[in-house]
Amino acid sequence: MAIVNTNKTPDRAAPISETSMLGWLRRNMFSSVFNTLLTLSMAYIIYLSVKGILVWGLFDATFVADNRRECYDNSLTGACWAGVIDWLDNIFYGRYPRDEIWRINAGGLLLVLWMLPMWLPRVRGKVLIGATVVVFYPFLAGYMFSGGEMGLFIQIMASGAIASFVIIVANALVGLTKDVGLDTFVLEALGKTKAPDKTQRNLLIVLAVALFVVANLWVSTWALEGVSWTKWGGLFLTLVISGIGIASSLPGGILLALGRRSELPVVRVLSTGFIEVFRSVPLITVLFMATTMFPLFMPEGFVLNKLTQVIIAVILFNACYMAEIVRAGLQAIPKGQFEGAHTIGLGYWGTMGLIVMPQALKHMIPNIVGNLIGLLKDTTLVSIIGLFDLLGMLRSISKDVPWLGLHKEPLIFGAFLFFIICFSMSKYSRHLEVKLSAGEKH
Amino acid sequence: MDVKDETRGVRVRPKEEFNFFQDKRVRSGFYQILTAGIVGWLAWYLVSNTAHNLEVRGMATGFGFISSSAGFDTDFKLIDHQPGVGTYGRIFLIGLLNTLLVSFFAIVLSTVLGFFVGVMRLSSNWLVAKVALAYVEIFRNIPLLIQIVFWYIGVFSLLPVVKKSLDLSFGTGNLILNNRGFYFSSPVPGDLFWMTSAAVVISIIGAVVFVGRAKKLQDTTGKQTKVLLPTLAAVIGLPLIVYYLTGQPLEWDVPMLKGFNYVGGISVPPSFLALLVSLSIYHAAHIAESVRAGILSVNRGQHDAGMGIGLKPGKVMRLVIIPQAMPAIVPPLISNWMNTVKNSSLAIAIGYSDVVSLFMQTTLNQVGHAVEIVGMTMAFYMAVSLIISFCLNIYNKRVQLVER
Repeated sequence: MAIVNTNKTPDRAAPISETSMLGWLRRNMFSSVFNTLLTLSMAYIIYLSVKGILVWGLFDATFVADNRRECYDNSLTGACWAGVIDWLDNIFYGRYPRDEIWRINAGGLLLVLWMLPMWLPRVRGKVLIGATVVVFYPFLAGYMFSGGEMGLFIQIMASGAIASFVIIVANALVGLTKDVGLDTFVLEALGKTKAPDKTQRNLLIVLAVALFVVANLWVSTWALEGVSWTKWGGLFLTLVISGIGIASSLPGGILLALGRRSELPVVRVLSTGFIEVFRSVPLITVLFMATTMFPLFMPEGFVLNKLTQVIIAVILFNACYMAEIVRAGLQAIPKGQFEGAHTIGLGYWGTMGLIVMPQALKHMIPNIVGNLIGLLKDTTLVSIIGLFDLLGMLRSISKDVPWLGLHKEPLIFGAFLFFIICFSMSKYSRHLEVKLSAGEKH
Repeated sequence: MDVKDETRGVRVRPKEEFNFFQDKRVRSGFYQILTAGIVGWLAWYLVSNTAHNLEVRGMATGFGFISSSAGFDTDFKLIDHQPGVGTYGRIFLIGLLNTLLVSFFAIVLSTVLGFFVGVMRLSSNWLVAKVALAYVEIFRNIPLLIQIVFWYIGVFSLLPVVKKSLDLSFGTGNLILNNRGFYFSSPVPGDLFWMTSAAVVISIIGAVVFVGRAKKLQDTTGKQTKVLLPTLAAVIGLPLIVYYLTGQPLEWDVPMLKGFNYVGGISVPPSFLALLVSLSIYHAAHIAESVRAGILSVNRGQHDAGMGIGLKPGKVMRLVIIPQAMPAIVPPLISNWMNTVKNSSLAIAIGYSDVVSLFMQTTLNQVGHAVEIVGMTMAFYMAVSLIISFCLNIYNKRVQLVER
């Protein structure tokens, strides 16, 4: 006869070494003599550097002063942030006229509001948002930033921009409150749900055109003071160059990548050569090429300004890196997708545009964000050829008479600014990667 | 249609209707000619514009300027150059060597540091792993140019002046650091030094043969021979014995303070140091990430199995994990090396005389010839990256052969 205890033995609590803070510390920092020594010496190094940074940058630092001498009078061992604070407007906007800075802010705000709906879960038509940003926003922003005479083309594009901005904001609001698309909402409001599709679509087009006409009337009354590109600078210029760079190099990169994978030998050789040449040389040589050789390339009497030269160089350079990202994305698409597309009778552009690219682009988003980070960092190079981007501005503080020789603080401030921007973007891209790959596992 | 064919069961291939506009070959030919035409027209347009502009501005073309003498000097050069005597070709060579020099040392330093930090990131010690993570994130997310300028202006230009130089060799005067640069003693071989050099070569050859035998022995019989100590003893000991027997035929040229500056020894300018340090730190952060990714790509079971057969953690890493991680580490590592060479061109911001700053800036400003100079500089970088990717291909082939 066996004696069996039928009662369940009560659960014992986990050992204290597993649950307590001390247990964690012991496992992760003091597991052996060597590890203890390592931890202690690391902690000491961290303590020294954090203390040094805090004392220099915060406790002993001077935040309010008129010039560098006053900083020194206040404290010899601390940072002189007063110079950076004094130049803050220049660091962000360059030498843009102070009364017109609202235009930059408005342009930035517009972009944020425009793009924001892409991140809101209940909003529909996100492809439309992305497309309108790329097609219309640059022209509106370009006019807002540079002002002056408005040509007919710019007027049309700016009106298109305003019309699509209104539509997108309205669409986002409707999506958030009613959880439907704007088209459905408008049709329901007009009580025409029973009408055939074609009539409904025509109605929507008429509404959009009406909006465009109104916007056009408004835009034609605009008269913004002209601001020469030579006054652009600071973080603003950095963002303009990298923004245009990334937006234009994406289509360029897609074309080059398709060319490189093409079955036509001439197209393939030309694209491959182009990509490899630009990928094997440093950006600074391409920038020098732009400033020294572009003037020779142009027909006589046609002068490109330096900013345009630089932007073209950045686009050419970055498009080649983008092409490699796109190529990697295309390679991730299984062959069955191409074959399936051929089977249902799609031609080359149909296959690529409707089947392959939409899937490949999704895979590429994290890498594209990574490329954007790289481009943003690389944009500092334009300061070498004499544009006053963020780094250019930071370096000119030390040449300003009251702040003569103030080198370190501006550079550290710039490094901090870049770190915040790039680090948050890279965290975001990491998050996207996880999110997108999670969607793959069914 | 032949009825006979059908009865014999031979399938007749339906005759394809030739449609000029739908034919694949016609279309592909058309698109290729179109592309070639557009590119050709663009090239012709640019070239003819350039030729016209050069003519209008009266600018000379051709590579003749390379053999004309350059009137300027550089503060740092590996080969002799006299202003007014040396040619622009020589300037190109000086810049090229300077680029290669700083890139080489930056590659070595960043690779060592990068492996170190990469392994630190995987440390079981929480604090160590987090410190490595902070290192990687901070230095990866700050533009390299800002780092270079900071090291140059914020560190190496603020070193003590010549009279108050730092002596890093504890008062022997062999390693001198000041705001003019870093000075160190250079060896001057005497008459009999060739014997020591010969001893080094002989002992290295001997060591290689010895290690090869030991490996063969292990492969065939499984017997392990102690390798490290004997080889080290031979490689260090034999040359030392020869060196002392021949009467120490090696003098040191020690940098001496004469007038306002140090004379003698070898010296590198602060710009070199700033570039070297910032390139190494920046690229080490990138290399650390690829090392970490490579190690993580090795199956966890490999580690457990290594521990299971009784290897110590260090040996598991060295004999089991690293050899398998290498194929995943090497390609990004080499692309990092390529980027180091390319990024050394940022030297121009702090006045280190590399190929871009000497040739593409100074020479171009003096003699014009934009097309030729830009072309030569780009060709140099392309040649470097071609050579490096050639090596990478060889490595990849070897790795693939080792695999099943």
